[in-house]
Amino acid sequence: MSEVQGSITQVLGNVIDVQFPEGQLPDIFDAIRVPRDDDDDLILEVELLLGDSEVRCVAMDSTDGISRGIPAFSTGAPISVPVGEDTLGRIFNVLGRPVDNKPAPEDAPERPIHVSAPSFEDQSPKIEVFETGMKVIDLVAPMTKGGKTGIFGGAGVGKTVTIQELIDSIAKEHSGLSVFAGVGERTREGTDLYHEMAEAGVIDKLAMVFGQMNEPPGVRLRVALSGLTMAEYFRDTGKDVLIFIDNIFRYSLAGAEVSALLGRMPSAVGYQPNLAEEMGMLQERITSTRSGSITSMQAVYVPADDYSDPAPVAVFTHLDSTIALERSIAARGLFPAVDPLGSTSNILDPNVVGEDHYRTAREVQQVLQRYKDLQDIIAILGVEELSDDDKLLVARARKIENFLSQPMKVAEQFTGRAGKYVPIRETVRGFRMLLDGELDHVPEQLFYMAGPVEDVLERYEESQNEN
Amino acid sequence: MAENIYDSILKQIEGFDPSVEAVEVGYVEVVGDGIARVSGLPNVRFNELVRFENGTAGIAFNLESDNVGVTIMGDYGEIQEGDTVSAMGRIASVPVGEGLIGRVVGALGNPLDGKGPIASDEFYNMERIAPGVMERKGVDRPVQTGLLAIDAMIPIGRGQRELIIGDRQTGKTAVALDTIINQKGEDLYCIYVAIGKRRGEVARIVATLEEHGAMDYTTIVMASASDAAALQYMAPYAGCAIGEWFMENGKDALVIYDDLSKHAAAYRQVSLLLRRPPGREAFPGDVFYLHSRLLERAAQLSDERGGGSLTALPVIETLLGDVSAFVPTNVISITDGQIYLESELFYSGQRPALNTGISVSRVGGSAQTTAMNKVAGGLRLQMAQFRSLAAFAQFGSNLDRETQRQLDRGLRLNELFKQAQYQTLAVEEQIILIYAGTNGLIDEVPVDRVGEFKLDFLRALRGQYSDLAKDIRANTDKRLSEELTARIEETIQGFLQTWS
Repeated sequence: MSEVQGSITQVLGNVIDVQFPEGQLPDIFDAIRVPRDDDDDLILEVELLLGDSEVRCVAMDSTDGISRGIPAFSTGAPISVPVGEDTLGRIFNVLGRPVDNKPAPEDAPERPIHVSAPSFEDQSPKIEVFETGMKVIDLVAPMTKGGKTGIFGGAGVGKTVTIQELIDSIAKEHSGLSVFAGVGERTREGTDLYHEMAEAGVIDKLAMVFGQMNEPPGVRLRVALSGLTMAEYFRDTGKDVLIFIDNIFRYSLAGAEVSALLGRMPSAVGYQPNLAEEMGMLQERITSTRSGSITSMQAVYVPADDYSDPAPVAVFTHLDSTIALERSIAARGLFPAVDPLGSTSNILDPNVVGEDHYRTAREVQQVLQRYKDLQDIIAILGVEELSDDDKLLVARARKIENFLSQPMKVAEQFTGRAGKYVPIRETVRGFRMLLDGELDHVPEQLFYMAGPVEDVLERYEESQNEN
Repeated sequence: MAENIYDSILKQIEGFDPSVEAVEVGYVEVVGDGIARVSGLPNVRFNELVRFENGTAGIAFNLESDNVGVTIMGDYGEIQEGDTVSAMGRIASVPVGEGLIGRVVGALGNPLDGKGPIASDEFYNMERIAPGVMERKGVDRPVQTGLLAIDAMIPIGRGQRELIIGDRQTGKTAVALDTIINQKGEDLYCIYVAIGKRRGEVARIVATLEEHGAMDYTTIVMASASDAAALQYMAPYAGCAIGEWFMENGKDALVIYDDLSKHAAAYRQVSLLLRRPPGREAFPGDVFYLHSRLLERAAQLSDERGGGSLTALPVIETLLGDVSAFVPTNVISITDGQIYLESELFYSGQRPALNTGISVSRVGGSAQTTAMNKVAGGLRLQMAQFRSLAAFAQFGSNLDRETQRQLDRGLRLNELFKQAQYQTLAVEEQIILIYAGTNGLIDEVPVDRVGEFKLDFLRALRGQYSDLAKDIRANTDKRLSEELTARIEETIQGFLQTWS
């Protein structure tokens, strides 16, 4: 289809109206380009057909300097991005253009960023546990291969560090392909991630797409799709791929930013009325099919630590496991600050993870819950007033809390401890021993920031030898 | 004399070029509330500067199909219906460069201090795109605020964005000003952007900075409470552009936005009056982007880009300590950490009223000088433990000696952190004080005399013990040697023997 020329009739911030000749309107989600004198073409995406041959679009760059009456050309297709092997080791923007000062990949196949989610019959029913090497996650909120995990937390509780640790350990241990989509986060974090991956030598297995918070809302609204399109291609060619999205909340926020300008009524808390549908259209595409799998990990910012905010709520339904990061745990220096009582996974089921793992995880939660119940009594009366059984339980609970912390590779600069990868088998065994009372003689501080249970025993022996 | 006049007239006639220039004009249809709707101007560009007949400037903010919404940057009382409006052919920009140092300018870079025109021939657009992923590098050099509690526990690095947040009258501006004053001789240019403040208050700030010799490296950008909302909305972008010039020329700059709550309110006013639909708390939908695109422009550039940096210290005023309101949470999620000031602490005498529990710095640790990092490393967690212990101790339970000792040290450290305004400390002084506090060297000083001890000791450190200070200063880039720590211990013990 050849290009059709239209002209711009209105500019309201990042929303632009374009008029086309009658009967030659572009489709919704088609890209429109606006030539600029001193720069690349400005790309718009059609969101609404307004009637009278006008369309309303969202801009994928700053609209400064755009005036009414200048020509715009419909391209007849949605925004497309390069996919395949050539994208690995590279950094792209939302339009699939490289931003790493290297030439664009030649001959790489291109795919449109808007496609339908895989049909019902294509869905893969397989369930398989996916090891992350992080004790607390593997134990109480195990991930599924080809499944979806959300990492929830307010500002500054360690979402990005947790995601980066997962990238680091998984990319190394699984040596699989992965895609990182940076959605509306700090540009500095993108820089740090790139250098870390390059240093670790895993950069050539990772494709990165960034649309950070310095970019207009249109970019932040679509960059997750650009990253996802690259991951989908790997899946559809029969590979298993990981996608990391940091941060999916910014996708909803970008939608809210343009929603009012697109002329939609605001819904609860000022969000867009189609918040859930918009999230569904993205999330339903992140799924595993009979040809290949996409395992996704998404950071979800919880505004003002309010888990009832409509945006994080819209994400919950789409996840197989949720990992909740808790400010009070972070404040005590226990990292990763995962709340073992607030994190869930629907594969924590004896039929999937096995009877031993299931029982261990649930008992750990029971002990912690009981400790939580006792905390008020302890605060008022002191530990000494508890019954002997409860005293033992409190001691074990405190050891469990400490043992759930783990030194992370990417946090070495903060903690000064080398990162540890712990296989699930070891994790379950360690907590089993703790629950069975085999470690009652080991002081609680030795459990802090340890890897597998052997670390704790080693420290214990050392301390014994010293005395 | 007459000859001269004749000559100059002749010259002017010769220079006359009778070309005709087409200027596109529009006409004011509606005016009021700082907003004008203008017909015509078919080719005006988005965010282009326009000029009204009486010389007032404006910005084309909404390009609608049959009119242009213009925000007026100045007095709109004299603009009449039917006045002509002409497009100026350029996006809003400000003069930049070293000519701005020591000056007080408005949001459009116009001088306000009566010291004549700005000496500058370079202009930067107010809205500029932030450096991308590959143009940056890690933050690894410190900005010393001179405030012991902040430099020790919540260190700030060059190129970092650290939020100063708190209720009104908790000392937010004081922290910002102390930081500027402490930059004397540090090769860090400062830009203070006053948004929606009283003019008198800004005048006092300038006087204070002058008094401390800080105007030699500082620029003030002012859009006061009586200036148009459009100017208050533009001022931070202007200040940022001025700072970017230093960054892009390989220098270091620090910009303070005081404060972004008023900035958001000014933007809300402009947006609502232009009938952009309201969202949460009646702010327009893009209020996150309003601040994210501003704060992302602060960066540590990579060596290929010259290695300059722009550090940003935005200020946010909360209402009744509510950090979960819309604008505060937005800015918290943009910045690399926050300095949280609390009115309870302020009135109980803990000034700066820093809440160490929820204040953080995500990158500053790697920017701290090595000696400071080693001395103050676990201090924030230690103080967190102290606070929970102190709360626990209120129940009146019998405390063992170890716990009591920990409590006493916490109390003494808290006393050390108290610091009067304009009394900034050098990094070596901070290192010595923290070392003394955490290693029990002042356990014998009664808690209520620690403040007095600190002042007397600092005086001695600047006088008779200046050798020690000098030697530590020379070694801040490595871990304190045993020899130096021994000297610190010796000096303090010696001082305590004579001090009473």
